[in-house]
Amino acid sequence: MKKTVDVSLPIGPLHPCFKEPARIRCETKGERVISAEMDLGYVKKGIERIMRGRPWQEVMFLAERICGICSVIHNMVCIETLEKISGVEVPERAAYLRVIVNELDRIQSHILANFSYCYTIEHETLAMYLLNLRETAMDMLELITGARVTCAYMVPGGVRFDLRDEDRITLEAALDHMDHELRRYVGMFEHGPLVAQRSKGVGIISREDVIEAHGVGPVARASGIPESDRRCEHPTYQKLGFTPLSYEEGDNYARVMIRFDEVFQSIDLIRRCLANMVPGTIRGGGAIKAGEATHAGEAPRGELTYYVKTDEYGRIVDITVRTPSIMNIESCAHYMLEGVSSAADVTSTFISADPCIACTER
Amino acid sequence: MSFLQSIKNSVRSKSIHVSYVNVGSCNGCDIEVLAMLAPRYDIEQYGIYVHNNPREADVLLVTGAFTPQWEDKLKSIWDKIPEPKVAIAIGNCPISGCVFNRRGSYVDPPVAKHIPIAAEVPGCPPRPTEILNAVLSLAPLVFKDYEEKQS
Repeated sequence: MKKTVDVSLPIGPLHPCFKEPARIRCETKGERVISAEMDLGYVKKGIERIMRGRPWQEVMFLAERICGICSVIHNMVCIETLEKISGVEVPERAAYLRVIVNELDRIQSHILANFSYCYTIEHETLAMYLLNLRETAMDMLELITGARVTCAYMVPGGVRFDLRDEDRITLEAALDHMDHELRRYVGMFEHGPLVAQRSKGVGIISREDVIEAHGVGPVARASGIPESDRRCEHPTYQKLGFTPLSYEEGDNYARVMIRFDEVFQSIDLIRRCLANMVPGTIRGGGAIKAGEATHAGEAPRGELTYYVKTDEYGRIVDITVRTPSIMNIESCAHYMLEGVSSAADVTSTFISADPCIACTER
Repeated sequence: MSFLQSIKNSVRSKSIHVSYVNVGSCNGCDIEVLAMLAPRYDIEQYGIYVHNNPREADVLLVTGAFTPQWEDKLKSIWDKIPEPKVAIAIGNCPISGCVFNRRGSYVDPPVAKHIPIAAEVPGCPPRPTEILNAVLSLAPLVFKDYEEKQS
């Protein structure tokens, strides 16, 4: 059968809306997109190849440089895999501190994703409000860990720094500030008529299609799969009584709203951690032994899996990382973008899936 | 200094258009460049605008350790920027390759091999204020009296 294609529309690799280089090849009929394909490979560095044969002390820093937005979760999952291999126990206070830092990282990542979405639908006011609010979360990360992005806070057997009492007061005040301000911005997003026109009913992906495309993270939870959240299986989160959230619609609006809701949830989790924490040691001992293990954690974008094999000197023999964005990019290209009614919605739908190209290609 | 040049100087001092290109970074520096947009840093009071369109840019911020895919593309992006133009390397990656410059990786640093780099901001990643400071201190050096320096 002859296919009727009016225009083949390439978007990228350098595009005002994209933070990172990626290319979308759309086949359009008029402005309606018939099919889309992703071209990746612009930032492939071969990190896993450099990691092999190096001691874990070096691999730890390479692991958090896989992705600059969600560097804390890469650090956390890498360290937890090493702990799983060696049977190292984490002190209780350190486990709570890990959750606090991880949730702060999730807050800034989700706010950044929603900033990009608002910027793409050209609601610049809301975008700038969100970006300014993100700086508060970055300040708190810097306060606790000592660095804004690549903090290397977690080490096998604990964390590097304790949370001082005066910092705890600052953190609580910052959480109240973020909670209060974000409620206002979410109200602007929820009730904005123009936002609704650009977001509701655009880029729909059904529950069956998400399962078919192996979508993870907020993309899966926006289409009604709450059990996709790997935090349910983490012991510290279970202790905190974590229950995942979900939306049913599966459109751009649901994907942005689930991130806003998860920010509130993260703020709540941090408050519960601060309430449960008792003074104690933050760094136990332990040596890395030989063995292999697979461990998964919930990155801001979905499930992140590490397979690590070590030798008796603590060197990494083999490592494989599976990052969440590749599945979300596939579900975006093959399901969400199909039938999108204008070229402007292509970029906004792509950004709503929150792709992280640096993670994907490593 | 001619009258025309003085007009150009005053216009250019308050209109610096910035574009950024990621040639294989981990995203950390890109996000710090993006964080620079936040109202806290208020870059528009200095007349800096981030467009991410090379054709209307004056300053190109390069992040990343240069992957093989960009071999031809970075040069063509650089050629698209109208004169006067300047490129700034953001982070350790375009300067030295940072942690990625090891045996077995695909990167080919420094970026200065491929396009002329006027300034370097080290850090992994540098803070938004440092990036802002680099743009602000470099722009008057390059853009002031540009035409008279050429002739």
